[in-house]
Amino acid sequence: MGYDDISEELTNYMDSIKEDVVTGRISLLELELNPIFDQLKESLSVYNIFNYSQTYQQACDLLSLKFEELKNLLNHLDNDEIFLQFLKSNPNDNEIEQILGNCWRTVFHLESISPEFMSYSNTRFSKDRVLTEKIEHIRKEQIGGSFLLEIPRQKFTEKMMDFYKKIKKKLPCKFDELFDGIQDQVEVYEYFVYILHLLQIGLFKYQKATTIIYE
Amino acid sequence: MKMNEISILMHLLSRRVSLYEFGATEDELLKYLNIKGKNKHVYLKKLIIDLSNYIEPLGYNIKFNPLNFYWYISIKSEISDMFKTNPFEGHPSLAATLFCTLACCLKNEGCTQIQEIIKLRKKKNLSEDLKDLSKKGYLLIDHKQNEIRLTPLIGYQIDLNQLIMNLALKKSKANAQY
Repeated sequence: MGYDDISEELTNYMDSIKEDVVTGRISLLELELNPIFDQLKESLSVYNIFNYSQTYQQACDLLSLKFEELKNLLNHLDNDEIFLQFLKSNPNDNEIEQILGNCWRTVFHLESISPEFMSYSNTRFSKDRVLTEKIEHIRKEQIGGSFLLEIPRQKFTEKMMDFYKKIKKKLPCKFDELFDGIQDQVEVYEYFVYILHLLQIGLFKYQKATTIIYE
Repeated sequence: MKMNEISILMHLLSRRVSLYEFGATEDELLKYLNIKGKNKHVYLKKLIIDLSNYIEPLGYNIKFNPLNFYWYISIKSEISDMFKTNPFEGHPSLAATLFCTLACCLKNEGCTQIQEIIKLRKKKNLSEDLKDLSKKGYLLIDHKQNEIRLTPLIGYQIDLNQLIMNLALKKSKANAQY
């Protein structure tokens, strides 16, 4: 990060401001002095502090001039008369609207969370909400006949080994050929699961490149 | 404890009391916050400053309406500009009538004769403008007395200090030209 010495540049700028103020071209009240102080602050370092202290003093002089100008302005304000004096210059409607231009401001109000609203809501909800629904306990139903869930006659391993015995004769063969002649998709899925398990326990082997299943 | 006070203060300053009144007076704030004792005003000012610092980064300011002595919350001018806060945009005639009413009322401690506004405005009839301004809540018309009274609404919506500053700058520029 570099710390340039911009004190001379700022001094020249402030001199030009002073000249404009003296000749009446500008009013210090219309000028922002913050950028001068910001630039001084941002570029200050131990290397340029001597020059900067003088520039800072000059900026402070300008600031006190601005305060002086504001003080003079406030001293000369006669609130009632100043309105009438402006109207005496016969301004048109647009000129009057312009003078109000930067004076408008918006009021912030939150009706929805005001204490009055909350108090109103509290009363309303307490009165209007009547609990009519009752919670009834469920009675245990008497179930007759057989149990709903059917238990498979054979265990998974037995069914899988039956399938293994059945297709053992076909091996080696292509993976697709194991499903030849099976139309039912549920059956296909069931056999596929058996094949996966058989591969896992090592009864089958699978060659990825040729998709052949062998023992 | 402090947060509760700040919450109550926020509620009181952001409430709408009537068509033309927002916020709360100092007495109301002291009453609702239950601040008592010799230094109650100092303590309240400190609370207001604390809340002001708290909400300032969000673009809000705490302001004082000199017309009815209410404290309230206002949206910062840079943010207000984005929302186009001028309620008379495209209606310069209404703005001009309000300005003249303000000028007359400031001179006569809050109320004025309709005739005086008409004279200042250099118009034959202002009844429509005055009716509109009354509807918007800026003034109250007393037809019997032929009198107009400003409501505090203008003190909320217009930065009077800024307006006086604008007028003074205009005057000083005009003086510099001659």
